[in-house]
Amino acid sequence: MVTLFRIPGIRELWAKSYQGVTSEDIPWTPLNKPLAQCRVGLVTTGGLHLRRDLPFDMNDPDGDPTFRKVPCDAEASELVITHDYYDHRDADHDLNLIWPRDVLQGLESAGHIGPLVPQSVSFMGHIDGPHLNTLIQKSARSATEEIRKQQADVVLLVPA
Amino acid sequence: MQRELERQGIATVGLSLLRKITERVKPPRTYCLRYPFGHALGEAGNRDQQRQIVLDALGLLETVTVPGAIVESPYRWRRTRFAPEDSSRRT
Repeated sequence: MVTLFRIPGIRELWAKSYQGVTSEDIPWTPLNKPLAQCRVGLVTTGGLHLRRDLPFDMNDPDGDPTFRKVPCDAEASELVITHDYYDHRDADHDLNLIWPRDVLQGLESAGHIGPLVPQSVSFMGHIDGPHLNTLIQKSARSATEEIRKQQADVVLLVPA
Repeated sequence: MQRELERQGIATVGLSLLRKITERVKPPRTYCLRYPFGHALGEAGNRDQQRQIVLDALGLLETVTVPGAIVESPYRWRRTRFAPEDSSRRT
């Protein structure tokens, strides 16, 4: 499947048949200060986590709806990707593809944005079946609270 | 996740590699790229490309006024060349 997803047509067919979340309303918070003054949070669905933390569950075909906190000052050697549903060989070499910590720190140094908050949040993006409800009703709320405690003004979300 | 953050008063922007799913989930602001899975920021080691994509996405926080906006990236996988920081800076 991972190999098949390299073919754009296969991806589009899969997306058309997607039976996951469908929403009607759209929550909205306007930006209330310049980006250069905003504290920035980072969320990835690339399955990244500290090596010492529990890996995401790859045995459940519906995925793993839990999340991991990933310190933004972690060394690359302390981190690993556990996610069998995309080809992460490039991301293994350059974590910025799914977790642009270095990119955001560069933008902070250049004055484009305010500081990156200390802890980012990581999910594995292949979540289906009953876990979708757990994700929406529980994990997303807990992860939001983690980010809110760090006083992030804006958040960038990166898929895998 | 993005929708929950926004509900709690945090402005968000998400990258997307699948426009059709984004249209169904309806996040507040999305920057959509026609790139392979695992490569939302582009190519490994191409920091100019990665920086430009993040700048484009974060820029939507300042420019988008319509909830649910999906903005398509103009970039072509492995074909678009990206300028170094000094010439790409937007502010």
